[in-house]
Amino acid sequence: MKMTCNSLGRALALSFRLGLALVAITPLLPQCLRAAETPKDKPAASADGMVPLDIKLPAPAFKGTPKDLQVGPNVEPVSDKPRAPMMVPPGLKNIAPRSKVTCSDKNVTAENLAKLTDGDKEASDQSIIFIHKGTQWVQMDFGSPQEIFAVVIWHAHNMAKVYHDVIVQVADDADFIDNVRTVFNNDSGNSSGLGVGTDREYFETYEGKLINAKGVKARYIRFYSKGSTESALNEYTELEVWGRPAK
Amino acid sequence: MGKSSRRLLPVSNLFLVLLAAAAALALRCPSLDRRPMHNDEAVNAIKFGQLWTGGGYKYDPNEHHGPSLYYATLAVARLTSAPDFEHVGEVKLRLITVLFGVGLIVLLPLVADGLGRRAAVWAACLTAVSPAMVFYSQYYIHEMLLVFFTFLALAAGWRYWKSRKLGWALLAGAGVGLMDATKETFVLTLAAAPLALAVNWGWDRWVDASSPAPRLPRINVKHIAAGLAVWFILWLVLFSSFFSNWPGLLDSFRTYLPWLHRAEGASPHNHPWGFYLHRLLFFHVAKGLVWSEGLIFALAVIGAYAGFARKGLANAHAGFVRFLALYSFALAAAYSFISYKTPWCILSFWHGMILLAGVGAAGLLRRIRRRLLRLTIALLLLAGVAHLAWQAWQASTTYAADGRNPYVYAQTSPDLLRLVHQVEALAQASPQGRDLLVKVMTLEGDCWPLPWYLRNLQQIRWLDRLPADPYAPVMIVSSQFHAALDEKKTHVMVGYFQLRPQVFLELYVDLGLWKDYLAKNPPKPD
Repeated sequence: MKMTCNSLGRALALSFRLGLALVAITPLLPQCLRAAETPKDKPAASADGMVPLDIKLPAPAFKGTPKDLQVGPNVEPVSDKPRAPMMVPPGLKNIAPRSKVTCSDKNVTAENLAKLTDGDKEASDQSIIFIHKGTQWVQMDFGSPQEIFAVVIWHAHNMAKVYHDVIVQVADDADFIDNVRTVFNNDSGNSSGLGVGTDREYFETYEGKLINAKGVKARYIRFYSKGSTESALNEYTELEVWGRPAK
Repeated sequence: MGKSSRRLLPVSNLFLVLLAAAAALALRCPSLDRRPMHNDEAVNAIKFGQLWTGGGYKYDPNEHHGPSLYYATLAVARLTSAPDFEHVGEVKLRLITVLFGVGLIVLLPLVADGLGRRAAVWAACLTAVSPAMVFYSQYYIHEMLLVFFTFLALAAGWRYWKSRKLGWALLAGAGVGLMDATKETFVLTLAAAPLALAVNWGWDRWVDASSPAPRLPRINVKHIAAGLAVWFILWLVLFSSFFSNWPGLLDSFRTYLPWLHRAEGASPHNHPWGFYLHRLLFFHVAKGLVWSEGLIFALAVIGAYAGFARKGLANAHAGFVRFLALYSFALAAAYSFISYKTPWCILSFWHGMILLAGVGAAGLLRRIRRRLLRLTIALLLLAGVAHLAWQAWQASTTYAADGRNPYVYAQTSPDLLRLVHQVEALAQASPQGRDLLVKVMTLEGDCWPLPWYLRNLQQIRWLDRLPADPYAPVMIVSSQFHAALDEKKTHVMVGYFQLRPQVFLELYVDLGLWKDYLAKNPPKPD
């Protein structure tokens, strides 16, 4: 059995007529099919009988297809001026390279963790380490209490992005139970459960995020994050901790 | 051209075509809500919403294309008793374009005697799995409707050519009318088709001596007039918005002025001539996949050669295949020549290439005499089809909103949904609920698709600048304004949210509202 031209043609012709009929009756359908509108709830009246003025706001203007911007290192400049230097006591050193680095993601190898303190801050794939998604941390053990004056964080800055829940804490024990202090916290929604942060989110740039630690004394420091606007993964390029042995 | 054949497609071939249609649905339907709404999809959705809720529709000659998408959606919404607009989601809207995309396969039997029966089956398979076809079937934009109506017009035109029956002329007229009511670029198709017909006739007349010189067909003027009348009626009804917007008729012509300006270069979408071919034939970005529909292009070239050389065509019609080749390549050249380019425009000429590729695949197998070699080639072709299907799946799922996908263009970032959920949660925490005042202040009104996602909130002010008094309980602000609206400590800057690559929004919330929200939303364990 084969479909013939005539039967298919009849079917299509009938469909076409039905389609035309549909087009003709469609404007009549709203009156037939739309359910009766439920009366709008009356706004609550105040004690003196006044009610809120209900103003219908205009719709937004329609826009055409926006320009396609490819991802790249063209980060939105926060400021055209270079960052002002932070004033610190003389003789400070970057104590991160001689620290013992550990991570909440046990799949990150020691070789990868070593990249965080190797001095390579370039925005290249070889310089970045990837850590599992969700709230994760990188921890440094300096071996003895230090006075920490400044911390600089480079997440991945190979494209315009913002990292979430960036939190820096210091403590006197490795499990972060004893004398925990927060140096920086931009988790305004407390989604990482370490307290409501009051610091602002920021764009990643080649300058890194410079945080004033004000000479806080601690042996351990932790860097938290929870993904970015680009990806749920956590990424780091380099960490620097500027301090000196505590007296 | 001879008498029309009374057989279109054997049942076995028809079954394979329907199987391809089922496979097309399977590739297109899952994860329809995975990709955030594109700017253009959201605009179309809101326009449809206005039509549905009694706000009417007026054709805009400067932007946003024709009325067919909105009225097609309205018809489906009415017929399926869809819920109110607030509860219409991305899935329901995108199903419209999915159905039109699958409809391209359903129309194939109409041209089976032109392409050849086996070629029609191959064309069905390739239409089902072409990553470009799959990806843009899931876009609530006009493009897939344009391709469907174009194919409807071409197929009906072919059937009229074969049969001289009035019904086909009327259907062809309807196809052209609906093309007109869909997208302004239909004029390129209107130019390419007669050009292809003329060159094809000339080839038959002066170049190809293998068959008797064709006589010009007797044209039934009444049938042509009837087809044009259908086009006219559709134009009248749809552009006047069912007789409620008479200026829309004039606007349907005035629209070509701004579009010509864009075609000449006055647009942010100017791209080099190879833009489309780059995406179709070989696209690779660092750390991304290698994307290619080169198999389709190669088979299309083979199919075109078969049409001109009259080799390996079997039951295909050489003239039809040649017309298809001339039409597709002419259309591709026209689109490539125009500097204004958006990647979904490839569909118009790519569909023609896919039909040709069907001819190429069938012809390639037919010309191979040795059975083992033919089996090997067939298996390789099927492997190629499978690879295309895999690419299509990746494009629709893992890479649906990823710039490493060649078909992604100015796509909304998934990160924006985080902003949407945050604002919805704030509205739930607020005593005002859906009447919570939200001010959206974006550079040049670059806020889409937020109007779609926040459509359930009743008090949103949309601004294209930072006003003297910007404050509201919730403020969404372009980061390019450097607004710092938390300086007075009355508001909290909750964070940055990515609208599109390199385009960010800041969210500010009244301090009291934020405290209420935090109290009602304690942190959840990871």
